[in-house]
Amino acid sequence: MVDPVLALSVFFVLSMATVLLFWPRWGLVARLRRGSGWDERIQLEDALKHLHLRERQQAPTTLEDLAGKLEVSTGRAATILVQLVEAGLATAGDDGPSLTDEGRSLARQTIRTHRLWERWLADRTGVRAEDWHSEAERMEHTLTAEETDRLASRLGHPRYDPHGDPIPTSGGELPPLGGRSLRTIPEGRAVRILHLEDEPRELYLKLLDLGLAPGLTAEVLESSKRGVLLRTPEGERLLEPVALGHVSVEVLPLDSEVETDRRSLAEVPVGEAVLVTGISPACQGPQRRRLLDLGLVRGATVTPELVSTSKDPVAYRIRGALIALRRDQARWISVTTASDAAA
Amino acid sequence: MASLAPSPCVGCNEHREQSLVRLGLRPDKWDVLVALAGNPNTGKSTVFNELTGLRQHTGNWPGKTVVRAEGAFVHGGQRVKLVDLPGTYSLQAGSTDEEVARDFILFGRPDVTIVVVDATRLERNLNLVLQILDITDRVVVCLNLVDEARRHGISIDPDKLSARLGVPVVPAIAREGHGVNDVLEIALSVARGEVRTDPFRIPEQAPRVEETVAALTETVQEAFPGIPNGRWVAMRLLNADEAVAEAVRSGDLGLLEGSETEAEAAVASEEQRQSVLRTASTLRWQLPSDFHDAVMERTYAAAEEITRGVQTAGLKRVGFEMDRTLDRWLTNRWTGFPLMLFILAVIFWLTIAGANVPSAMLASGLIDSAHPWLKGLAAAVGMPWWLDGLLIDGVYLATAWVVSVMLPPMAIFFPLFTLLEDFGYLPRVAFNLDSLFKRAGAHGKQALTMCMGFGCNAAGVVATRVIDSPRERLIAIITNNFSLCNGRWPTQILIATVFIGAVAPAHLAGLVSAAAVVAIAVFGIVMMFLASWLLSHTMLRGEATTFSLELPPYRPPRILQTLYTSMIDRTLIVLWRAVLFAVPAGAVIWLVSNVTMGGTSLAEHFVGWLEPFGLLIGLNGVILLAYVVAIPANEIIIPTVLMLTVLTAGLAGVGEGTGVMFELDSVQSMGDVLIAGGWTLLTAICLMLFSLLHNPCSTTIYTIYKETRSAKWTTVATVLPLAMGFVVCFLVAQVWRLVAP
Repeated sequence: MVDPVLALSVFFVLSMATVLLFWPRWGLVARLRRGSGWDERIQLEDALKHLHLRERQQAPTTLEDLAGKLEVSTGRAATILVQLVEAGLATAGDDGPSLTDEGRSLARQTIRTHRLWERWLADRTGVRAEDWHSEAERMEHTLTAEETDRLASRLGHPRYDPHGDPIPTSGGELPPLGGRSLRTIPEGRAVRILHLEDEPRELYLKLLDLGLAPGLTAEVLESSKRGVLLRTPEGERLLEPVALGHVSVEVLPLDSEVETDRRSLAEVPVGEAVLVTGISPACQGPQRRRLLDLGLVRGATVTPELVSTSKDPVAYRIRGALIALRRDQARWISVTTASDAAA
Repeated sequence: MASLAPSPCVGCNEHREQSLVRLGLRPDKWDVLVALAGNPNTGKSTVFNELTGLRQHTGNWPGKTVVRAEGAFVHGGQRVKLVDLPGTYSLQAGSTDEEVARDFILFGRPDVTIVVVDATRLERNLNLVLQILDITDRVVVCLNLVDEARRHGISIDPDKLSARLGVPVVPAIAREGHGVNDVLEIALSVARGEVRTDPFRIPEQAPRVEETVAALTETVQEAFPGIPNGRWVAMRLLNADEAVAEAVRSGDLGLLEGSETEAEAAVASEEQRQSVLRTASTLRWQLPSDFHDAVMERTYAAAEEITRGVQTAGLKRVGFEMDRTLDRWLTNRWTGFPLMLFILAVIFWLTIAGANVPSAMLASGLIDSAHPWLKGLAAAVGMPWWLDGLLIDGVYLATAWVVSVMLPPMAIFFPLFTLLEDFGYLPRVAFNLDSLFKRAGAHGKQALTMCMGFGCNAAGVVATRVIDSPRERLIAIITNNFSLCNGRWPTQILIATVFIGAVAPAHLAGLVSAAAVVAIAVFGIVMMFLASWLLSHTMLRGEATTFSLELPPYRPPRILQTLYTSMIDRTLIVLWRAVLFAVPAGAVIWLVSNVTMGGTSLAEHFVGWLEPFGLLIGLNGVILLAYVVAIPANEIIIPTVLMLTVLTAGLAGVGEGTGVMFELDSVQSMGDVLIAGGWTLLTAICLMLFSLLHNPCSTTIYTIYKETRSAKWTTVATVLPLAMGFVVCFLVAQVWRLVAP
């Protein structure tokens, strides 16, 4: 008979080894895979992406700028640029490097994959919002153009990624990103959020915490040194100056109304009939379609009727049927009291 | 249609047959092809059964018919083929069900589509009707459940509804057979073109959107002149519907209904088709982002408006109040769980207590009497010993064992469970337990498939069809094996009685061993939650998830029909699969103990090889070999273990002969055999754990493959519990040895 102490120790060592080897991202296998020749391709593609970004911003790219973005030395950044020029993807000019047509289309292909993957993660999976970007940052280098096209058609050819960035078409067309920075909006105007910058992660998390999402409408109450005070459907929110550049908005016409004091279906007590005013823009993809199919469209009457033994889910009477929704889903649905709507 | 009005387009018809085969339809001959569509839980399957006489199981469950059923019958000299589409709320192709239904109506080109509508929820059901009317104009609406509507105080004027929709509307009470034949008659006359329809189309969109839609509709109609639903095609293309885009790309669209001649259909050149798609993807950018929302809003607004015009509600609400009272009790914070536990306990008690007698009767008939009689018969005809052994001791005995242990509990458990399902209670159980399952990343309905697993894992896996969210369904399938199925209960009870009960004082022995078995079952539930949590946070993190749970109104169950259908489609199907797998297993068990190599049987060789690993995880070689050869059914584990123990331990005077499975009359004497085979309390505990945590039986594995159509997930479902079993048994055994004196 094997000595139990020995057996248990061997087991312990083996399980530790397995964890060290195969743990996603930190595991040795994952590290080796990243190290072997991948780095180079990733750096080239990331460099193209960065050149593309600067081109859209109509700002020149400097060597330091590129090195900072790629987290490499300036020497390494210079080598990468030379490689790009040799491959015919970029040209070196007086005011810094610029993309060739070929380089631009390759950069857009990478961006397309990145943004489609973010859309996929947001709509179809349980991955948290703050992880979308880093996951997509890895996937953008692994999918082929055909795989990306298949992904696009499975998703129904989405036009925007979950942060509000337009997704380049398979032909490489990229519509201009409209919108203005929040900083420039006069007080009292209503705006719709077009885009949230997802980098750096800490700032993005802060924006998420404030309940901001592309598609959301809000009113600028105050714009001062301490930041911008917004009235969002969920209450007043203060954006610190550092975050302002990370939110772009479009200004709504003067007479447009901003939804205030939003009430979500989750807050409605049993027995009170309410009217649906909309589904939050944060709810997309199959989840949204399911809610719409169930009849939760603008103007529908909903009455919470039964609370389950463990309080969640709650069953709602929707167009004659009794349908249970989880709290997370009910929170997406904004409603108004039936009498308010009549008035 | 073919024999009635020979189509001018011969090629078209051929093409249609091809696309029907592609859709998975059996290419029989028929004159009229009828599709049956409807929301979930509207009595669609009841209508199907009434028409075909086929007893397809219908439960009071939303989303029962996930796999499409077809039936054929002759009516008035015409061969009618009826296809039951999955119940869906919509045709937006958001889920597999919706895609199947939509593809069939679009590409299968049924001669007529019957839409079954629930009269108690007309407005909700009209959403689907309106979407179908957008695709095809050959539609008949079957206004079902008018009796239930009357009970709920709702009255609908079918003539007015028919006038608004522009298609025939026939009221029916399908459960009692009323009106179903009228629906068929009218459907057939619509198919023959005798009844003209003028379907209602959803009103225009907002001006800016309408311009875009009109522009694309024009391009579509230029490429495919003569298609009746050009506007719908344009809308779908703008909505980026991949199936429709593919039909445009391949030119299939031109061959759909309405194109009169092949020449006309062929007009769409490659160039034109590509230009349609290009236009669509350019125009898509001009649409507002809430385009899809707006489409749904308009459809529902139209449904609401139509309903208002044809329905009088609020006459009296007796039945409705009864439903509410029942719901209050069954989902109440204080009474919900106790009532649920009580109902489930009664079912399990009835199953276990009720199965004993018939099981013993079957065993005495099939094993104690028929087996010796067959042996005698074989001897009388002079069958060679090896053939007699292989067929009668091996194949026959294994099959008999599986039938006698498996059949009675399943024949009691499944009908009882089905009655609850028909009544409408099971969705309430899912409703009450959902928050618990949600924490593990699973769906509340998994509670039910888990309960079903206590009866039989294979049936539990089939039952996961009611879960409409792909990720949660996979979790339910993979973790179903953690429900201790009734093939494993006898093993647990026997081992607990012999070994665990023996440790306790005599007057407590029964209680302690029962508690041990329950503890194992509860441990299984814990492992189920753990595995669900692990899967949803690792491998299945990237799978799609949507939740909704409809709580249908309570309906009085129909007892006789339930007994009949649950016998047919649950009990017998599962039993048949088990028997199919038991046959080769019986042969293998006999062969390994009788084929010798170097003087000792194969079984002893295998046991010798497996012994070291077996001991490492607290078991022994015999148990591991038994689990390998008895993979088809857990029922034959104990007889196989006993036979192998006698064989390898060289016990004289016990058992029926080499390779013949047996059980002994008294529990005590079975215990004696096992103790003589070197079993200890540790072996018993590890066996109980391993019996819970090991690969599913081959019937279940096969069923998992049939349901998931994926070798990957089948492998995961097989290997995951086995690996967990190895680890748990290993840890228990080593710690035990470390701690025990």
